[in-house]
Amino acid sequence: MRGITQVIAVELKLIARDPMSAFFALAFPAIMLWVKLRNGGSLPSGLSLADANVPMLTTFVIGMAALVILPATVAQYRERLVLKRLRATPASPGMLFGAQWVAHMLLAVFGTALLVAIGFFVYGASAPANVGGVVVAWLLAALSLSAIGFLLGAVVPSGRGATVIGLSLFFPMVFISGAIIPRESMGGSMRAIGDLTPMAPAVQAIRAGWEGSAMSPISLAVMLGICLVAGGVAIKAFRW
Amino acid sequence: MSEVAATDDSVNMTVIEIEGMSKSYRGKQVLESVSLKVEKGEIFGIAGPNGAGKTTTVECMAGLRQRDGGVLRVLGLDPQTDRRRLLPRVGVQLQEAALPDALKVGEALKMYASFYEKPADWRALMDEWGLTERQRSSFRSLSGGWKQRLFIALALVGNPEVVFLDELTTGLDPSARRMTWGLVREIRDRGVTVVLVTHFMDEAQALCDRMAIIDQGRVITHGTPGELKAQGRTESLEDAYFALTGGQAA
Repeated sequence: MRGITQVIAVELKLIARDPMSAFFALAFPAIMLWVKLRNGGSLPSGLSLADANVPMLTTFVIGMAALVILPATVAQYRERLVLKRLRATPASPGMLFGAQWVAHMLLAVFGTALLVAIGFFVYGASAPANVGGVVVAWLLAALSLSAIGFLLGAVVPSGRGATVIGLSLFFPMVFISGAIIPRESMGGSMRAIGDLTPMAPAVQAIRAGWEGSAMSPISLAVMLGICLVAGGVAIKAFRW
Repeated sequence: MSEVAATDDSVNMTVIEIEGMSKSYRGKQVLESVSLKVEKGEIFGIAGPNGAGKTTTVECMAGLRQRDGGVLRVLGLDPQTDRRRLLPRVGVQLQEAALPDALKVGEALKMYASFYEKPADWRALMDEWGLTERQRSSFRSLSGGWKQRLFIALALVGNPEVVFLDELTTGLDPSARRMTWGLVREIRDRGVTVVLVTHFMDEAQALCDRMAIIDQGRVITHGTPGELKAQGRTESLEDAYFALTGGQAA
């Protein structure tokens, strides 16, 4: 793992220097939170909109970092032969991609912290009822969605291509999985389709942890399964 | 020629040994049978027409590509099966490789240094190669000459015993090229063996202790630049190159 802190630090700086990443992972979800909470209110179940939307948009942030920005970085590094140059060093692939994952998930941590802070201080959201559960759900969401992101990054030849494919997976998914529209407010058929997306278990588990309701073991198992399968295929399919 | 090589052998050590190396991509034979020897501490040139197999040869030596057949030893190690032991001991500058646009010169050197067990002092290296004034410049903002300077420094940051330079001066203006030649001699003067792929015969004449000309996946001749001129019965190395590759003289 020699060099891992260096690579993480460098990747974080590179992400920070790219205004698009910072905007879509940090500013955009914060603006959406404002748009959705500015008039206050609650869901028919009595849950305040703030308590629903903070965990929902957290999934948006994880998805943006894992499904859009991460694969774009990996694919662009391949396209520009950055990966090829790295391959000629003793740096191990596990270290390099582990560092990529950590750096991109730290971006998602910042985005999450920003949403929580705004929700908490501006809109009076309550603190998560089950902090440990939220952390576990967050990590499993990050692992499963990043595995799909790595798979994209492993096979798409260009950074632009990976961005387009990443966005076209991400946007329909955030809308129908309940990351933007509360699952409770969606029609039955739309919710049924949304439940088939890999983002749905993430939304459900993070919200359940937040509200303190029982987390479905199936959601957690599905995320773990996605991580193992997509991650395994990504490793098999990967080309420098 | 063989006498010279024999006496040199007693003093020198063979750093790279290739015997009958072959390689094909998607059914196209790129290397038919490449054989050559590089001795410790020399600048060894590889020249030849586009598509002759120069880059493939170097990338096999640097452990970036797998050969199909033949023997290949770099520092006594097989780059295919002993990558992990070989990579800490070699440095490369690759044709067309790049760094992330927003990465700064100092950050690149510091990060690459962190990959090696016994790296060179990256700040000292940055100083030696005149990069300190560009420490905070992003890769994107560097001109071709500065990029090549950075690539050379990155190739040296692991304190390698052998350095592979693939078309180091292609695309540089004449003064940047001359300056780069000086840098390559400095590498050799530190005792590092240099393998240099080049298209330019003036460059080969100025830098190489010995060289090989590769054409259609084979080494068609090798020797010192003087020996190649004698073989081609020509005054200039460029004319010798055309005579030996069967191309048209200028």
